[in-house]
Amino acid sequence: MSDDTWLLAAAGTHLKGAVAAARAAGGRVTVLAVGPRELADAAAAAAPDEVRWLETADDQPAEAWAAALAAEVAAAAPHVVLAPSDPASRTLLAAAAVPLGAALLTRVLTVRSQDDALVVDRSSLGGAVVETLTVQGPLAAVLEDADDAPPAAAPATVAPLAPAGAPVPMQVKREPLPGAAAGIRDAARVVSVGRGLRSKDDLALLDGLLAALGAELACSMPVADDLGWVPKERYVGRSGQHIAPRLYLALGISGMPQHLEGVRDAKVVAAVNNDPAAPIFRTADYGVVGDLYEVVPALVAALAE
Amino acid sequence: MRAVVVYAWARSAAGAIVHADGGVEWRHARPVAGEDDPAAVAAALAVAGPDGDVVGLTLGDADASWALARGAARAVRVTDAPASDDEGVTAAVIAAGVRSVADVDVVVVGDSEEHPGVAAAVGARLGWPVVAGVVSAAPSGAGIEAVRRAGDVQETVVVTCPAVLGVAAEGAESRTPGMKEQLAARKRPVVTTTLAELGVDTLPAAVVAGGTRLPEQARTRVFEGEPEQTARQLVAALRAEGVL
Ligand SMILES: Cc1cc2nc3c(=O)[nH]c(=O)nc-3n(C[C@H](O)[C@H](O)[C@H](O)COP(=O)(O)OP(=O)(O)OC[C@H]3O[C@@H](n4cnc5c(N)ncnc54)[C@H](O)[C@@H]3O)c2cc1C
Repeated sequence: MSDDTWLLAAAGTHLKGAVAAARAAGGRVTVLAVGPRELADAAAAAAPDEVRWLETADDQPAEAWAAALAAEVAAAAPHVVLAPSDPASRTLLAAAAVPLGAALLTRVLTVRSQDDALVVDRSSLGGAVVETLTVQGPLAAVLEDADDAPPAAAPATVAPLAPAGAPVPMQVKREPLPGAAAGIRDAARVVSVGRGLRSKDDLALLDGLLAALGAELACSMPVADDLGWVPKERYVGRSGQHIAPRLYLALGISGMPQHLEGVRDAKVVAAVNNDPAAPIFRTADYGVVGDLYEVVPALVAALAE
Repeated sequence: MRAVVVYAWARSAAGAIVHADGGVEWRHARPVAGEDDPAAVAAALAVAGPDGDVVGLTLGDADASWALARGAARAVRVTDAPASDDEGVTAAVIAAGVRSVADVDVVVVGDSEEHPGVAAAVGARLGWPVVAGVVSAAPSGAGIEAVRRAGDVQETVVVTCPAVLGVAAEGAESRTPGMKEQLAARKRPVVTTTLAELGVDTLPAAVVAGGTRLPEQARTRVFEGEPEQTARQLVAALRAEGVL
């Protein structure tokens, strides 16, 4: 086993944060990028020590190579192998963990070496606590996706990788997600309503705020799914849209983890809720405790000042 | 097609209480059906088809009839499976349980937010291809067609059997079984087995838990008071952030 760290990446998101986590785990940092050229370039831009690139066919999912790549990783015998949390990357990671004889931990925040062991901090209970674990021997860890900080070093070079093993037969067809064109995906500011809104007619209350902010309207899942007040392609969350606006203003939304997952990459999250104990006040950047029916007109007035 | 659906393999986060010092009290440490398990059962039934066979597989002292009431014909329960922090260990037990069922074409596992490694690790242990993050699946020729989302893109992945699917729920379970289904479930067979019978070695744990603490994330700045005043405070803060 070497002191090196590998990062298995099949998707281009959260790579800078992942390389930073790999640096902290120690040794030489190698990113194994599995996908198109743009992915390898994104990995190189995150400034690891090197990028090994396996180009996949257009209709071939990265997972087709899982077993073949596992053998390559095991041969290099790094002490830590990491992956971002997207399904393909974590599938490659779990496959590599078996021949490596590595423990498999997930939702990992940081890994560091200490006295011949690895000390791991991970997020648990939906982010309510951080758990510290000590691991003997090699570790395979799925990372909790972190904010991308700009890398401190120059881009790495990209070297092609030709695994000894063959891919298994798997095909993928990609098409634009139905509803993906909804205005909220590219909006800089999004105002979102939850079940704190009492009726569909009350959506009119938001018009002034949307106009003053130049914002798009979004909502929580029940407002679209159960109530049907807002088109389905506008609900945000685990099973809805994942958006990254500069401002996400949540009105009458309790802040369940499944909802907040959709705005993890927002720059600022602000919330208006009349319950001071609402979970959203534990995760938002700013909160106003109050009745949205009073706070929304007051916000419009304050924005006009 | 024969599908094995794995359910209730993790402790319920809902049963955990977080204390002010960051300590966690597991009041109900027993495994319960996870948020994604109903969707996993639905996918297993869809993939197996009307003439297919769906077998439930569960760990510990979970209620094996949970999947039976939702359409599984029989179930296997591994009674002494350890609750491990190492998802590879959990997956090894699940894989051994799957091997105890003959002629399995597909294994369906809830692709849980809290434990996103288990489904993929089950495939790795069995040496079968894995598709994780799946929202729906259907049979397709000799294989399976699984749909998932990646950013703005919908992916339809076709994989040959045997294979493992990690299925993520899109919402809460829409319909829970009625009394009739629950009574019928109690008549369906449950085979209990043990790690020793499955030939799973219980190695010393490589992972040792060292306690929990509250995350040191930046605290929410909360404004309380008259709406005119709190609205002004929020707008000022957002202007200072440069997001208006
Ligand atoms: C597998 C799964 C996937 C899911 N995926 C998603 C998803 O993608 N997106 C999603 O949104 N949800 C999702 N959910 C549902 C999620 O768990 C919550 O149930 C949902 O987000 C709650 O919506 P809400 O906040 O609008 O409603 P509630 O939880 O009912 O909250 C309403 C809030 O409004 C406040 N309020 C009431 N009146 C006022 C007032 N006058 N002024 C100010 N505040 C007021 C209340 O204090 C409360 O906090 C999922 C659930 C499951 C199980």
